[in-house]
Amino acid sequence: MTISTLTADTALVTLAALPAGTESQLVIAPMLIVLVAAVGSLLLSRWPRARIGVSLAGGAAYAIAVAAIDWYVVLAPDAPGIATYQVGDLPAPFGITLVVDGLSAFMLTMVAVLGIASLIFSTRVLPEIDRRSYYFPLFHFLALGVTGAFLTGDLFNLFVWFEVMLMASYIFVAYYGGPQHTRAAFWYVALNLLASAVFLLAVGGIYATTGTLNMADLSRRLADPAAYGIEPAPVVGLFALLLSVFAIKAGLVPFQFWIPTAYRAAPPQITALLAGATKKVGIYAIIRLSFTVFADADVPVELAVPGTELAVSGDSPLVFVGSALFVMAAASILVGGVGAVGRESIEGVLAYSSIAQVGFIAIPVAIAATAPELRHLAVVAALVYALNHTLAKGLLFLAVGAVRSATGTSRLADLGGLAGRSPPLAIGFFVGALALVGIPPLSGFFGKFLVFDAAARVGSAPVVGLLLLGSLLTIAYMTRTWNRSFWGVQTDAVENAAVDGVQVGVVVALAVAIVAVGVGFEPVYEFADAAATAALDSEAYVEAVDPIEPGEFESEGGEH
Amino acid sequence: MTAVVLAAVVGALFALGTFLLLRRDLIRVVWGLAIISQAANVYLLSMGGIAAGTADSVPVLAGHGDHVPETADPLVQALVLTAIVIGFGMTAFALVLSYRVYEEHDTLDVSDLGDRE
Repeated sequence: MTISTLTADTALVTLAALPAGTESQLVIAPMLIVLVAAVGSLLLSRWPRARIGVSLAGGAAYAIAVAAIDWYVVLAPDAPGIATYQVGDLPAPFGITLVVDGLSAFMLTMVAVLGIASLIFSTRVLPEIDRRSYYFPLFHFLALGVTGAFLTGDLFNLFVWFEVMLMASYIFVAYYGGPQHTRAAFWYVALNLLASAVFLLAVGGIYATTGTLNMADLSRRLADPAAYGIEPAPVVGLFALLLSVFAIKAGLVPFQFWIPTAYRAAPPQITALLAGATKKVGIYAIIRLSFTVFADADVPVELAVPGTELAVSGDSPLVFVGSALFVMAAASILVGGVGAVGRESIEGVLAYSSIAQVGFIAIPVAIAATAPELRHLAVVAALVYALNHTLAKGLLFLAVGAVRSATGTSRLADLGGLAGRSPPLAIGFFVGALALVGIPPLSGFFGKFLVFDAAARVGSAPVVGLLLLGSLLTIAYMTRTWNRSFWGVQTDAVENAAVDGVQVGVVVALAVAIVAVGVGFEPVYEFADAAATAALDSEAYVEAVDPIEPGEFESEGGEH
Repeated sequence: MTAVVLAAVVGALFALGTFLLLRRDLIRVVWGLAIISQAANVYLLSMGGIAAGTADSVPVLAGHGDHVPETADPLVQALVLTAIVIGFGMTAFALVLSYRVYEEHDTLDVSDLGDRE
């Protein structure tokens, strides 16, 4: 148990080192904790109980570190709002910069809540033999990749953390090792390898165009290209490449095809993380790069819509991003919604639903990109909706995991009457379903409300109509899933089910969290508001990271 | 001249990689992915500028004032090194996975894989 005390010590040490100014060791704390937990659980492979202990301690320490970041950096009355950590004390843009601001903190909090739930759930799902496998180290490496992606301050490191996250997720998709799992994993790996190559192309192009990869430096240079002697026009195309990579991670149509097979293949508690956390990394990257980095780029964009007189024009890459996102999000809502209605298993329904729901998150991002006056409101809407999706979809996938480990199946045809077999599980699932639909006073209501509000203010009837249609589809497929699996006559599988108390407890705890977010929405809204402000305030971001000018470095030496 | 040759090489690698990626044989798909990631690496390396480095062409070197030795941009080399390592690991994993697919399905033909649920 020495490792777990070490983990706790790391948390205490970093907690004691409160942020001074905007530099803070607190920024790197979550990554260190999760790394120590990963290595610790890797070393303890012969002692399954100690390994689980270390994993849970690591998870708890991670949550404490994230809570400390939330409070000291963002929420406290005199909080700086943004804090940086220059790895190895090399000044930006030469060193590796880690940055935490409202947006990163908001995302980290979401992942921490879901991660803890999934971790506790994992300890009850794995049979004894599996606890000796590399499940727990991989779990922590997945968390490390996600955390790194949220905290990193430069594009190439974003690529690296994406890879760390993906490597763990590849193995989880192939985890059960059956025919459909290996097949799903192979296509998942192949697609992501291709996406990585595209990511590298975009990174290389941006470096050649602007001479930097540090996000703050990039933002500063793009805002005033003449002063730095760069020609920013190619950035629009390179940004389009990046957007396609992030859309693959987020699972937006037309890059959604890997989702249903991969989500069915991975263990349900990991699928909860894939839907709730890694998807959000794609969304986070789109928001961060669009609004913090590329928003100020001064590039005239003129896009003619083929076959019509219409044209989209503006003086920032965001115009292009917004238009592309609108199309992708609209297609996601339709494809996901229609696809979910006819699925045969609960996972199938939830996987397609996940495609549709990410469309609901992308619509406000698209609105924010195209309508500058609504930008703040729309980003808040996207964040609140993302929070709701993380909680609700995480809950639903964990509920499927509980159903599967109790009955051995998740096919709708083999289920029925689960509500009578385990009322708490049924109530948990019901709350998750209602949150997805958007019934007050759950978290989903405010998410949906803000998204509709943003769409209505744009005054675009087709967008509002699309959102309405998407919501109706949500009601349709969730009602169908509920009726077929939780109501009706108990099937043999359900009658003989052995429901695990801890698994149900985790589901119920997430349901309580959804209700709590809905009832006490005011502080959540304030947090999302701070996150949106941070995302849109690229000046503060540049100021905090403070990339020094080339040429300044020599005179300042290493004292910076 | 060097620029044209490099551009042609990158283009040819991408074409070859894409061609292989669209084959029915899984091993060729892995080959295609490996070649595409190498193409991306060559491209990344050439993004540092092909001419001998000066303060104007190599942003990182600008910090050293005017006394820039003739050198390539070190940053892209560091990036490419990282990318190669990651790509290498990924390719190895994809190969192992395709062997596992062969064990599970008794075939490496993509069109046969799709038929079995």
